[in-house]
Amino acid sequence: MSLKNLLRAVLGNYLFKRALRAFGIIVAASTITFFIIRLMPSNPIEIFINQMMSAYGMSYEDAKAMALALFTIDLDKPLHEQYFEYVTNIIRGNLGTSISISPGTPVMNVVTAFLPWTLFSVSISLFSSFLLGITLGMIAAYRRGGIFDRVVSTVAAVTSAIPGYLLGILIVVFIGVRFGLINYMRGAYSAGLTPGFNLPFIVDVFLHLAAPFTTYVLSTWGGWMLSMKANTVAVLGEDYVTVARAKGLPEGRIRTQYVGRNAMLPLFTSLAISLGFIFGGSTLIENVFVYRGVGRLLWSSINARDYTVMQAVFLIITISVVVSNFLADLIYSLIDPRVRVGG
Amino acid sequence: MIELETKGTLTVNEPVISIDNLTVEYVSPRGVIKAVRGVSLKVYRGETLFIVGESGSGKSTLGLAMLNIVPRPGRIAGGSITYHIDGRNVNILDLPLEDQRAFRWKNVAMVFQSALNSLNPVLRIWDQMYDTIESHDKHISREEVYEKVRRLLYLVRLDPDRVLKAYPHQLSGGMRQRVMIALALLLDPKVLILDEPTTALDLLTQKSIMEVLKNIKKELGLTMIFITHDLSLAAELADRVAVMYAGKLVELGDVYDIFYRPRHPYTFALMKTVPKLTSIDEELYPIPGSPPDMANLPPGCKFHPRCPYATRACSDVEPSEEWLTPSHLVACHRHRDLSLRVEAR
Amino acid sequence: MSLKNLREATRIYLVDPLKLISRKKSGLVALFGLLIYIIMALFGPYLVPLDITPKPGKRYLPPSLEHPLGTDFEGKDIFSQIVNGAWDVLYVAFLASSFTILIATLLGSISGFKGGFVDSIIMAVDEILLTIPQFPLLVVLAALVRLDNFTLALVLGVLSWPALARAIRAQILSLKERDFIEAARALGLGLKHIIFVEMIPNLLPYIVVSWILSMTGAIYSQVGLVFLGFVPFTSHNWGVMINLAWTWGAIYHKDSVWYIISPIFAIIFFQLCTISFASSLEEILNPRLREVR
Ligand SMILES: Nc1ncnc2c1ncn2[C@@H]1O[C@H](COP(=O)(O)OP(=O)(O)OP(=O)(O)O)[C@@H](O)[C@H]1O
Ligand SMILES: [Mg+2]
Repeated sequence: MSLKNLLRAVLGNYLFKRALRAFGIIVAASTITFFIIRLMPSNPIEIFINQMMSAYGMSYEDAKAMALALFTIDLDKPLHEQYFEYVTNIIRGNLGTSISISPGTPVMNVVTAFLPWTLFSVSISLFSSFLLGITLGMIAAYRRGGIFDRVVSTVAAVTSAIPGYLLGILIVVFIGVRFGLINYMRGAYSAGLTPGFNLPFIVDVFLHLAAPFTTYVLSTWGGWMLSMKANTVAVLGEDYVTVARAKGLPEGRIRTQYVGRNAMLPLFTSLAISLGFIFGGSTLIENVFVYRGVGRLLWSSINARDYTVMQAVFLIITISVVVSNFLADLIYSLIDPRVRVGG
Repeated sequence: MIELETKGTLTVNEPVISIDNLTVEYVSPRGVIKAVRGVSLKVYRGETLFIVGESGSGKSTLGLAMLNIVPRPGRIAGGSITYHIDGRNVNILDLPLEDQRAFRWKNVAMVFQSALNSLNPVLRIWDQMYDTIESHDKHISREEVYEKVRRLLYLVRLDPDRVLKAYPHQLSGGMRQRVMIALALLLDPKVLILDEPTTALDLLTQKSIMEVLKNIKKELGLTMIFITHDLSLAAELADRVAVMYAGKLVELGDVYDIFYRPRHPYTFALMKTVPKLTSIDEELYPIPGSPPDMANLPPGCKFHPRCPYATRACSDVEPSEEWLTPSHLVACHRHRDLSLRVEAR
Repeated sequence: MSLKNLREATRIYLVDPLKLISRKKSGLVALFGLLIYIIMALFGPYLVPLDITPKPGKRYLPPSLEHPLGTDFEGKDIFSQIVNGAWDVLYVAFLASSFTILIATLLGSISGFKGGFVDSIIMAVDEILLTIPQFPLLVVLAALVRLDNFTLALVLGVLSWPALARAIRAQILSLKERDFIEAARALGLGLKHIIFVEMIPNLLPYIVVSWILSMTGAIYSQVGLVFLGFVPFTSHNWGVMINLAWTWGAIYHKDSVWYIISPIFAIIFFQLCTISFASSLEEILNPRLREVR
């Protein structure tokens, strides 16, 4: 009886469910990549083998053996075993060996050299735009109908309608080129510097972050602002806010604990979704600014026909999104008491 | 058979609130809605006043105005609400914001119509009790607060240890209603406004909340203003009853006058809707016609389209309020020529 | 009865709104803007033929009467490129959002109506597609498969339906509660009848607005792929222009600004018109919102 209850408690647990879901999505993403690199009409393994045979005059067997080594897929096994092996390898963190970008290096190492830059730039930008958006959204809600509200809401609607990478190009054209700042809009740091924890390097990194940061923030703050405004307006109409005023609470406490907290709650779900979107957007924005992140790596790997790196980048981006979704769920369950219990 | 309980007669007729010519409007896309139109009313110390009327007649708005917390898009367009407390006369509408904040809940508290949504979903009940006291008394210790809260929760028949730790969604509707009542009593207010304290609850819960309220009335002896549709509740608890129609007082008097000698046709019709004890059918004699469109009120007496006794004058001129006796007020052109009789039930 | 319903629906959801939108200023402006884009896409090539002859002496000219938006790195007229580049972009956007709507409506209604196992399966796929970042997946696909306009639109449709399907499912679930559906069921009318005659007309406003809105997403992806150089440049379109301006280093040239900003603003204005039109339309079609105004 207690075992059954324990099982039920674990299975019914909100976080357990979320974790299970995250795992399921990672498996699904691996399946998709397996399908792409192994089964699609012109799949990379076939392309690679043909390339080896025509360019280096290899025999089919040799080329296949080489593909096996690079992709860690044994093409002689039955398909379902290949699939099973492939997924287990991914879960073990074994994603094969780079073909051309950094030949011979495990793909994992290549990707982990680029991933921190994306995580760094995307999370700082997302956090800032979230903060900016909810602050302005709340102010606009308190002054709804006023001039501040109208101006900010319009600007928010316009900036969020423009694709981020186009904003990035405009920034390069109108600020980078015009004011001679273009050097700070290419790469994650200046060419001559060696990465390390010293002041010149850190300053340089932040200078290079400025343009992609502005682009990310400009294209995402409007969404936060508009939904925060809508939520705040809705919460302001809730009875518990009127009760809080009736109770004679100080305005500051009403704004934070009664209005702010409740208006912000639903945004945490969107935070998770927008993470996926901003990761996807990094593919474009990093290429505008030649930023050393996974989005740029994806582009390079495709241009270099390095398919093992390509599949790994795709998987890593997906896993990052899934993991951050899970973290968002976790945060959500910590701040919304209604989620914590039962689920 | 509804019985009117015998009330202890009020020895001193000392007002605790004087509302004078109060007007409250909502600015809506369909135009300005005058939810309260020039209401003047005195509330006496220690009495239980009932405000009754159909849905949309402005009862809740009047209650909210008494704390000066009419939410947007509403605003108080005129009049005054003067509290006579501790020998001072304070018009809450004139108080600086910070003083208003300190004034509310300490002097006048309210249990809202939608008590189910009156609690902040993300804070524990304890926190919502504690922040209320703390924002009025910085120096009070947690132990003192706890002692007080515990006593009040017992008064409303709740188990403090269970309730205080809980979040609102973990409590049933009846429990939340009790929490709200306890919360309202937290600062020993002089006046307690209860807006439909029993609607939205099942019959059994209604009964037990009523017991709690009667008990409070007996033990604390505070001034209570009940806002309700429920006339049988009024019959049980009220000292005086104010009848509102379309944002105006149409009749005001002690509970006997209103129940047995109503002088306004609307009050009369309302009394006929009171279910008899032998019947459970609430809608026995519904008032014919429908409540007026508040955005588009008829000229003259607002009740005339539904009034069986309406004359030409009724559709032209809005009747003014008249005192029939020092305690009975009515606003009707025809109150002199009509003899409205409520059969003894 | 069904015909009458549909005709009624057309009146309520198409004719009346057009009358109403003529009263809403921002919606009218947006509609006017969209019409210009549509005319540009359909008739542009006949009105302003594409300039294809390189003129080395006329590189990067500033705007003039002869060249309203100046010339590009080969001395070709930019304005004619903008006009002729509209078709591709609008075609893919139109097709992709139509696919999106089709798939989303179908799966969303089946999911909402059937419930149970079917619902779980559809929602699981929905969730997976919703989580996997769409653009990187597109990039990977584009790297391996030749995406012509039609295939690209199809792929975009297949990847973009989840959010909308979810919303439609939710709407269906709430509609299901209402009386008239119950009545239809009691009358023994079939599932098909209920979905297509009772529900779709009720969902139509929502679907129309989403259809328009999802064009912006399609344009984001399509132009993005072209910008990165991952779809073949079969014809002239705004994405190709941006890509060429970017890779030719046109942005560093003093007078080249017009070359890169013309297609960018062509896209931005289209996105703005689309979103503004959609939100006005939503206001008009949604009775609840309408009452509030
Ligand atoms: N937020 C608001 N915006 C616009 N009009 C409002 C608002 N709140 C109330 N009103 C209008 O004011 C009038 C009085 O409302 P109020 O809530 O005071 O009535 P009530 O007598 O308490 O009704 P009920 O018995 O249903 O609670 C109604 O006609 C209502 O339409
Ligand atoms: Mg009310």
